[in-house]
Amino acid sequence: MTAVIGDLIYESWYLGLRTLRRFYRVPANWIGIIAFPLIQLFVFSQLFKDIIQLPGFRAGGSGSYLAYLAPGQIAFTAFFAVAWSGSSILVEYRNGYMDKLRATPIRRVSILFGELAPLFLESAVMAGGILALSIVLGATIRTGVLGAALILVLAGLFGMAWAGTSFVPAFLTKSEQATGTLSLLFFPIAFMSTAFVPPALMPGWLQTVNAWNPITFLIEAIRPLMVSGYDWAAIGKALLALGILGTVLQSATLWAFRRLTA
Amino acid sequence: MTSPVIEVQDLTKVYSGGTRAVDGITFSIQPGELFGFLGPNGAGKTTTIRVLATLLRATSGIARVAGLDVGTHPADVRRRLGLAMQTPTLDTFATGRENIELIGRMHRVPAAELKRRTDELLELMGLAQVARKMAGTYSGGMRRRLDLACALVHRPEVLILDEPTEGLDPQSRIALWGELERISKDGTTMLLTTHYMEEADRLCNRVAIIDNGRIVVDGSPAQLKAGIGADTVTLQLDAHGPEDLARQQTNVRDQLHGFEPLEAVTPESFGVSLSIRGAGRALPDLMRSLDRNGDGVRIVGLAVSQPTLDDVFLKYTGRRIRTEAADQPIILGW
Ligand SMILES: Nc1ncnc2c1ncn2[C@@H]1O[C@H](COP(=O)(O)OP(=O)(O)OP(=O)(O)O)[C@@H](O)[C@H]1O
Ligand SMILES: [Mg+2]
Repeated sequence: MTAVIGDLIYESWYLGLRTLRRFYRVPANWIGIIAFPLIQLFVFSQLFKDIIQLPGFRAGGSGSYLAYLAPGQIAFTAFFAVAWSGSSILVEYRNGYMDKLRATPIRRVSILFGELAPLFLESAVMAGGILALSIVLGATIRTGVLGAALILVLAGLFGMAWAGTSFVPAFLTKSEQATGTLSLLFFPIAFMSTAFVPPALMPGWLQTVNAWNPITFLIEAIRPLMVSGYDWAAIGKALLALGILGTVLQSATLWAFRRLTA
Repeated sequence: MTSPVIEVQDLTKVYSGGTRAVDGITFSIQPGELFGFLGPNGAGKTTTIRVLATLLRATSGIARVAGLDVGTHPADVRRRLGLAMQTPTLDTFATGRENIELIGRMHRVPAAELKRRTDELLELMGLAQVARKMAGTYSGGMRRRLDLACALVHRPEVLILDEPTEGLDPQSRIALWGELERISKDGTTMLLTTHYMEEADRLCNRVAIIDNGRIVVDGSPAQLKAGIGADTVTLQLDAHGPEDLARQQTNVRDQLHGFEPLEAVTPESFGVSLSIRGAGRALPDLMRSLDRNGDGVRIVGLAVSQPTLDDVFLKYTGRRIRTEAADQPIILGW
């Protein structure tokens, strides 16, 4: 058993380093990930500058609309980091590189772990980029470096969990086009979340939906870390929500991967 | 007798679409042999290799590598196997060195040893200069050599190469042949596929000709060619006009009457071609016969050609081998 775990760690480590290399050696990757959230942060904060005057916002304690927007854009960044994550593994399935790896004496799932584990780092680092930029633009980070680290961990965990929405359709359909279809569900779910307006300003049915929205849990854990202080209850709920989301999506991923490589 | 390194019995693979790609083939490869699979596109070469490399389950039959069943002991088989597929498969965003090292790590080559072997292989394959460049920037020939280096990094007992010289220019092909010969001399058992007669002839000590998923014939290149029988001797004649040529051709036929190794005389536009068994040995006698029996035959050129594997393929399959290549089929998604 311990030998198996040792093997998995060893193999995933080196395969994961390779995945990271492939990521950072293409600058377009990280520019593409950060561009859209940054534009949203910048344009929306100007466009809806005065929305912050509405009573529903006051309670949150965000000084400006930009400060209110920033946590949601961190979630957007984590999403963009993983939205097409199924495509690289699919490319290598097709061109035979996966066979080359499978012809070595490694465990098959190491190939998947080697793709998945680096997504934590990729999402976290990209989220860190947008966090830094939002601070430059005027947002705050009340909890300092430790709070920032906690935010990146949450973003990384969300990225890893959400990657399943790209992996599953990719593995099941073997089509690159499909890798970005299910993951785009992020958009409606994020727009319904508290990324842009607080629940107090939402119709009743949306408030009900948000009681189950994992992205809302994520954002509501990040926001206090930026504007007020540690809200451990919110952080606990976010971890639980991400845990459930991750377990469901990654179990499906594992199943689809086994099917693909059967 | 030593036990074979690769042993295949009655192997059959029927793809889900119904294609019977491999149709009951049996062969075995002894330690140190360089065994060649020669066959046209779609013959089933890649399919057989994929089964041996544990990448594909056979429909029926037995396949063993180093005595281990590929179906029940895939991990043990993989440890002993070096594999380079028909299309070089590389991590294009990794350097040449990184490509070799990753495969070495997956095979658990110890770090210090890995560094040494990687240097050695980069040198051997002529890639030392470009070791730090991304593999995606490599030329076709460089990719081939890097792919081969990856297959060798863990010092495999058995090396399986699917069309190793496909897409190389003649010079690189000959250089790679030299490389493969050297690896073979070091004692590595090798199975390679090709559809180049010349390649099988030059490299392999045993060849199986495979067509439509079946082995049509196997043996050493010399045995196979001997099975064809006669060599061809072509005589170029200096003739003034067609009548003179016809006269000289008749003279040749007359003068060689009773010449024992002769099997056939075929008139050609340039002179005459003769089918002669063991032409190399028979040549002096042949010349003497032509000489002794008077003149009227003006020979200005002579060439002896031995049967090629091409002739062998033609004899056993009734077709000439085509030389165009095809990649593995594209896996169509939705
Ligand atoms: N994955 C697959 N699914 C269905 N049919 C396949 C598959 N792979 C190969 N085939 C079919 O099996 C037959 C044998 O193919 P294979 O690739 O083994 O031939 P080959 O001898 O390697 O040919 P080539 O010289 O072109 O590489 C062909 O008819 C091919 O179309
Ligand atoms: Mg092939």
